[in-house]
Amino acid sequence: MIYLDNGATSFPKPPGVLEAVLAALSQPASPGRSGHRPAHEAAKTVYRARRNLGALLGFPNLERVAFTPNVTVAINLALNGFRFRAGDRIISSALEHNSVARPLKLLTETAGVIWDLVYPREDGLVHAADFGKAIRPETRLAAVCHASNVTGAIAPAREIKEALGDIPLLLDVAQSAGSLSLGDLGSYADLVAFTGHKGLLGPTGTGGLWIREGLPTRPLAVGGSGSRSESLEHPDFLPDALEAGTLNVHGLAGLAAGVDFILEKGAAAVRAGEMELLATFLDALGAVPTATVLGRAIPIAKRVATVSLNLRGWSSSDLAARLEKDYGIMTRAGLHCAPLAHRAMGTFPGGAVRFSFGAFNSPGEALEAARALAALGKEKN
Amino acid sequence: MDSGSGEIILVFASNTRILSAEDFLEERSAPFVLIPVPKEVNPNCGLAISLEEGDAEAVLKVLAEAGLLPESVYYRRGDEFSPREFPWV
Repeated sequence: MIYLDNGATSFPKPPGVLEAVLAALSQPASPGRSGHRPAHEAAKTVYRARRNLGALLGFPNLERVAFTPNVTVAINLALNGFRFRAGDRIISSALEHNSVARPLKLLTETAGVIWDLVYPREDGLVHAADFGKAIRPETRLAAVCHASNVTGAIAPAREIKEALGDIPLLLDVAQSAGSLSLGDLGSYADLVAFTGHKGLLGPTGTGGLWIREGLPTRPLAVGGSGSRSESLEHPDFLPDALEAGTLNVHGLAGLAAGVDFILEKGAAAVRAGEMELLATFLDALGAVPTATVLGRAIPIAKRVATVSLNLRGWSSSDLAARLEKDYGIMTRAGLHCAPLAHRAMGTFPGGAVRFSFGAFNSPGEALEAARALAALGKEKN
Repeated sequence: MDSGSGEIILVFASNTRILSAEDFLEERSAPFVLIPVPKEVNPNCGLAISLEEGDAEAVLKVLAEAGLLPESVYYRRGDEFSPREFPWV
């Protein structure tokens, strides 16, 4: 199998991730709920995940990292804190995944929020200046995917924040965390939503939200926290305020190990490897004249290792099916839960086939995928 | 502990705070012991930090500098607990 669907979930996971999950499953796991040694070990496992994420992504205060089951919940949690009212405005890019787009759409319907979209320019990139132009007196938040899960385009997050000024920036790093060197996110983003099972190389069921000091928070659920046990009110301090119920200790053990792998290898080395894969694949696609790459003009330095394309004469679903059947290549066809992005790129509703490379792919696999596309392209032209 | 000097017990609001404090103090080889939170002072289910009375001031000072202060501090002698004030807490 050649696995090129790391944008959906990364595979394989480093051996240390499997070992860490198994080790966590092999002992009791009740973090912060008891005073005995195994409970403390479970709490330390969760703490290690927090600490590693803080180190990799540049979160200055670990107490402001709240774990969630995934990035979608993290984004909903972030939005929930703002208590939006009718007439408030939120800016997002037009490359958002549904994890951002659907909550924003719902806010327009339930709270009367006005949603302003910033479209990519001809170069396939969103530009900070366009976020600046979208600001109105009522703008209360900007929500931006750091890297598109369709085109791989990287949003200039630091420059966007400079354009926003005091308006908080919620950055969705689902496709960039672990792939880009992001050791200073806390210096410009105000809220960071992440998932554990993609570039961070952890298990599914892990994710979280970092929130800058001073920003409002409001839980999506209340209940057990292991703290303030005497009270019927849920605690108001972080992270307990946003972490009702026992955390996914087994998943977080794997996430801590996944981030350990990246920290040991070095985020810059991971990025360099993925850029090599990207360059190899895009270069080899030069021999596939019937391929149309979404955002072909986006330079490699402004992409994560994700390439979506269509092949003349092929539907995206048929192409992905043949890649799997004849070549053992796993890709993802369709709209990638990002209808806005496909509309912006002119590929709605047919979508495209996405090739998303990861930390364990080789240049040979990228070449194999390009060769397969060349052969399938000839078949219908 | 009833050997002439008393015991200082640091109680933290959140589990994450006490783990951060534990990590921080371990890195500095500071003298401390983790104990279940004494029910006489707090109904929570987690852990507290226990210090020799003579070490408390220095430990609390470094925790204050790291932004990792406890929510409350108690002095224990035998079965007697009393709140203890420190300038940083």
